[in-house]
Amino acid sequence: MKRVPAWVLVLVGCAVCVGLDYAYSATVAADRGMKFWLMIAVACAINVLSATALNVVNGMAGQFSIGHAGFVGLGAYLGGAVAAYVAVAMKIPLAALHDNLSFVQSLIIVPCVVVPVAVVCAAVGFVVGLPSLRLRGDYLAIVTLGFSEILRLTVLGTVEDTAKNPITKAIAALGGSLGYRGPKLDGDFVGIPSVAGPFWTVGIAAFAVFLALRLKRSGFGRALRAVREDEIAASAVGVDPARYKVTAFVLAAAGAGIAGALLAIKRDGPGIVSPANMRFDKSFEVITMVILGGSGSVSGAAIGAVLYTAVFYLSEEALNQAARAGVGFLANVDAAALRMALFALTLVIVMLVRPEGLFGERELFEKKRVAR
Amino acid sequence: MRTAHPFRPPPPDRDEPLLDVAGIEVRYGGIRALTSVSLHVRRGEVVALIGANGAGKTTTLRSLVRVVPWSAGRATFNGVDLSPLSTEEVTELGISLVPEGRAIFPNLTVRENLEIGAYLHRNKQAMQESLEDVVKLFPRLGERLAQEGGTLSGGEQQMLAIGRAVMARPSLLLLDEPSLGIAPKLARQIFEAIRAIAASGVTVLVVEQNTRLALEVAARGYVLRTGEVAKEGASKALLDDPEVREAYLGGH
Repeated sequence: MKRVPAWVLVLVGCAVCVGLDYAYSATVAADRGMKFWLMIAVACAINVLSATALNVVNGMAGQFSIGHAGFVGLGAYLGGAVAAYVAVAMKIPLAALHDNLSFVQSLIIVPCVVVPVAVVCAAVGFVVGLPSLRLRGDYLAIVTLGFSEILRLTVLGTVEDTAKNPITKAIAALGGSLGYRGPKLDGDFVGIPSVAGPFWTVGIAAFAVFLALRLKRSGFGRALRAVREDEIAASAVGVDPARYKVTAFVLAAAGAGIAGALLAIKRDGPGIVSPANMRFDKSFEVITMVILGGSGSVSGAAIGAVLYTAVFYLSEEALNQAARAGVGFLANVDAAALRMALFALTLVIVMLVRPEGLFGERELFEKKRVAR
Repeated sequence: MRTAHPFRPPPPDRDEPLLDVAGIEVRYGGIRALTSVSLHVRRGEVVALIGANGAGKTTTLRSLVRVVPWSAGRATFNGVDLSPLSTEEVTELGISLVPEGRAIFPNLTVRENLEIGAYLHRNKQAMQESLEDVVKLFPRLGERLAQEGGTLSGGEQQMLAIGRAVMARPSLLLLDEPSLGIAPKLARQIFEAIRAIAASGVTVLVVEQNTRLALEVAARGYVLRTGEVAKEGASKALLDDPEVREAYLGGH
């Protein structure tokens, strides 16, 4: 089979994403059922991006980070704030800020958001990655958890009444426990601009998966995996473990930050970023996606993310519908709690049957390697 | 095999030892693992470092590649002081360590394991040539290139670890107990391969508990006892030495 040139793929990908974008704008107004499916698709795409990023550090480099939500939250806050700032600078009326903006407007706003968010998160990822040079395993995990909790509690605990210096005032502007809700108009918050349609969410996620696949197959990816397997042996072939571990953190942080920013500024988004976005259970959700799909497998992480997200939303919908249709016992139980219990049970079973995850370290369509 | 180090022209002074270790002391906390180890390896030589468990053989190798720091003494390679260097930098100088206990990358395929050995020379052509050399040296690896490293037998994993080190085209190969836990027949094969690697121009320092096997391949040997060099000499002399025979060769 002849290989399709990369530029054709990119063009087709862009066309598909633009098509999705217009389909989204057209259908969302008309059809509520369609909106539900598109909402799930966008949520899947953002989680694919987040899981792909985490897979670089947890799966490929073998550094167990449980502070991923910290980077996602950081990206969300930054993304929301920058988007609001850019939208105001573009003279979009405040009253219409949270309405879905046009595709052309998104072409300006989204890059203005994504690039600085990626840079800042990468820089923070560098700092958080430094302890990985001295700590490993559980100890490193605790440091990453500490990082995300510090971020969350700092935002949560800094409120306007007590803010005295410029730094605390800036943090207080993020809204404390109420969350960041965009600029104020007549004393009310108008919400974060909803700009990023499927063109951006699906497009960026697909691009991230493509990059991660290339990364894994490159010499860089091989060295990263060597560091995961045995640091001393890796340095004995000339690989500098420090460089690779910190770079993995930087890449994961940048990806997570972009995922967070998209979460904040997506079309029909919530218009709010709250400290709950950085809670550690959010980190565990992403870890679950990666481990479910197969640690170290790019397509595994992506498919794990899609499965997790789809099941998460669909099971909720199914239980709600069943309850409405009058399935007797559902009236007396908490549907959300039941769903989580079933979900957890499924994960336990998957891990018992396939402890290496759905894919192990393999990729989709990759020839089977002789496994252990 | 073609000449082992096309990337580094041999320096003019051939009599200068390639590796010169002078009075190295290593401490693990308060415990002195090496009191004072001095040895030298000349270009093209195969030298064996023998001794009982806990004598400090592995520590010596690990300190030479800077995995453990030394607290006193000096070691030079090609006239370059090793003490300020990191493990990766030592490897860049042309020293490759085959760590003890088959430290391969179990979840990477055999091919990936070998390719990462050539990490320092990421030239496709050179990598392919080195790969062919290794496969010639260890045909078993050639049959298992697509297999995960962890699925190999113990002996094959040792071959892979050596192959990976050879891929770096070192001028000095350090081997830590290559026969450990391996069937005697395979151990002999591995030492035959070491002989072939040495014949291609690579200098070899091998640490072994299997004294006879090591001294058969090496030209000279050092006997390490409780962190010090207790004896040194030509392999033949050591093999005939009553004390060495008594202590390490089962007394016959």
